[in-house]
Amino acid sequence: MTRSLALALNALGLYAIALVLLVAFAAQLLLHELPCPLCLLQRIQFAMLAVGPILNVRFGLRPSHYAVSLLTAATGAAFAARQILLHVMPGDPGYGSALLGYHYYTWAFIGFAVAIIALAIMLLFNSQFRDDGKPQPVGALAGTAVGLVIALTALNVISTLLECGFGACPDNPVAYELLKRGP
Amino acid sequence: MEFTALFLAVTIVMVAAWWGTRTVALALFAATLLACIATYLHHASDALQLSF
Repeated sequence: MTRSLALALNALGLYAIALVLLVAFAAQLLLHELPCPLCLLQRIQFAMLAVGPILNVRFGLRPSHYAVSLLTAATGAAFAARQILLHVMPGDPGYGSALLGYHYYTWAFIGFAVAIIALAIMLLFNSQFRDDGKPQPVGALAGTAVGLVIALTALNVISTLLECGFGACPDNPVAYELLKRGP
Repeated sequence: MEFTALFLAVTIVMVAAWWGTRTVALALFAATLLACIATYLHHASDALQLSF
């Protein structure tokens, strides 16, 4: 695998993360489903998955950058597995609505598992790490992807502040704390 | 509030990874990941109703 192909795949990975964050926002804003604390932690892990590809695009391809994303994906999978186990008992309706038959935390677990497999496959190709001494310019595709992911994560700062306010986030949020009108 | 702080921390990590130095970005990443795990352990206090 050439360096340019690996960098293009890293940029595509950033777009995939941006898509996940966009879908989560769409569910929150269009379906009025506010994320619970555990759901927010999983969303944070999806955003943190982007740190590895950003480092690869900015500083060049290194195994340690992939390791950053691998650690994040394993942590996110553990968080999602915990939420699956909370609702795995027969008769439990689960938290929130289902998308294509699975709840969001189940999709999150699948997403983190796919990320782990994709990162492991990327690490198989040693040729991408051979430095030919030439600086790799950052293309518009990668630059746009980085900007998109940073912007979506920054939007989550605002949305979480509106949802949780300045106190502890409720376990089952139904309204934005900072948008509630006083008595 | 802690989740807002964590999203803010991730944004700062990304900004550091893009505009800052690699060492700073990796250090901030490690601190943020540990903060996420600590937040998870703080919240995951309910016993799972499971038997294997």
